[in-house]
Amino acid sequence: MSATRAEICVAACAEAWRGDGEVLAAAMGTCSILGARLARLTFEPGLLTTDGGAMLTAEPVPFGAPAGPAEGWMPFRDHLWLVQNGRRHVMMGASQIDRFGNTNISAVGAWDRPKSQLLGVRGAPGNTICNPTSYWIPKHSTRVFVPKVDMVSGVGYDRAAELGPVASRFHGLRRVVTDLGVFDFGTPDGAMRLVSTHPGVTVEEVAAATGFDLVIDGDVPETRQPTDEELRLIREVLDPRSLRDREVRT
Amino acid sequence: MAEIRSLRDAVADLIHDGDTVAMEGFTHLIPFAAAHEIIRQGITDLTLVRMTPDVIYDQLIGMGVARRLVFSWGGNPGVGSLHRFRDAVENGWPRPLELDEHSHAGMANRYVAGASRLPFAVLRGYRGSDLPKRSSTIATVTCPFTGEELAAVAAVNPDVTVIHAQRADRAGNVQLWGLVGVQKEAALAADRVLVTVEEIVDELEPMPDAVVLPGWTVSAVAHVPNGAHPSYAAGYSVRDNDFYQAWDPISRDREAFLAWMREHVLEAS
Repeated sequence: MSATRAEICVAACAEAWRGDGEVLAAAMGTCSILGARLARLTFEPGLLTTDGGAMLTAEPVPFGAPAGPAEGWMPFRDHLWLVQNGRRHVMMGASQIDRFGNTNISAVGAWDRPKSQLLGVRGAPGNTICNPTSYWIPKHSTRVFVPKVDMVSGVGYDRAAELGPVASRFHGLRRVVTDLGVFDFGTPDGAMRLVSTHPGVTVEEVAAATGFDLVIDGDVPETRQPTDEELRLIREVLDPRSLRDREVRT
Repeated sequence: MAEIRSLRDAVADLIHDGDTVAMEGFTHLIPFAAAHEIIRQGITDLTLVRMTPDVIYDQLIGMGVARRLVFSWGGNPGVGSLHRFRDAVENGWPRPLELDEHSHAGMANRYVAGASRLPFAVLRGYRGSDLPKRSSTIATVTCPFTGEELAAVAAVNPDVTVIHAQRADRAGNVQLWGLVGVQKEAALAADRVLVTVEEIVDELEPMPDAVVLPGWTVSAVAHVPNGAHPSYAAGYSVRDNDFYQAWDPISRDREAFLAWMREHVLEAS
């Protein structure tokens, strides 16, 4: 079976949780939510996933479906406790992200009179300082991948380093997945590195859509294809209505 | 003991120009009817507090009742931006809106501190982000036991907290259940508390995971069935998802917004 770009993104998002064990996989965005549930159905069965609300579901449920049997109940306050406790790996969105993984979801332009008032920092300042954090960005462009974010909502590696080893001891940005490729921060100074490009995407295309210099180590591999079983789970179980294709167009 | 009152009288007595007002309720139990009554009574210059300002605050902000917003996320859930909120921040229409932006955990902890009658709360988040530079309600504090520097956030003590609940008894004891946000904390932090309810009953039956606010924590209860529409009250109504979709084009345009508010709020009773 050949996978669509969205399906490659779902599997790439799932990979972000590989090895995490029994933690809450908190996800925002269609491919990210599908990725968390796919990881749990395949290589990371210990993950806790939700119905998109406060219910921890007994089984990963199809996108948008009711929770069905629940194995737990995580209302807002308990969720915030879990953030402090750290048994949670969150994959958030970002309106802007820079070379060190600082992200902005608050406001674009000047603070006192922004050109564009965004949604607000929501959980970003706490998530990034307390939990492993990844990002899912469905439309990779120089509008999002900027040299410097206008307002740091989520903390990147340069800011974490300035805080020192104690304050930053729970900080960890794992992966950035976009519609073009996969990135991490596995460099000496925590600068963003290109891990793989999705099938059909060139390194040059990724670089052109990025407003800063990415670290590129030698030959960059292709993002892996979803397995046949993963494709079946995505298509028949988790997202029969193909909502993933609305987020990432083929 | 809480008094059972009409919504109109309760709002008129409890909420005044210039007050700090928290309206809480997460996903469901969002007190829309009470917000509409505030708008009808022309109460203004409010500091509005809410973890997740959604359509309810878009309406209040668009009608110019707020001078300041304390929040952590402002959007139309599942739809997109709040256009009235954005217009106020970006263009000062219908009046400028001052912001005090926090994280979710920061907001929840500010209410907890307020409810505990403590001056501030402590958390690990915020450090390294730009928020501390931009808010006078975020500072750092050194732990007296470990020496670690942590973030401190000022308590929130609203003049009035407004919530919607499933039911109350005749003595004004309030019970709410389902997805619960920070209603309890916001109510206990406030000087005055107004609760609209779906139903007033002789006796509150225990419900699993319910939050109970004893009558002595509540100033007034108003019987307002469907008072959370277009959000819902678990066990009583379902979410009007079409309304949230419809709000996007209504709120995009100033005139369309004002016409809608005239027809559905100002001229409604």
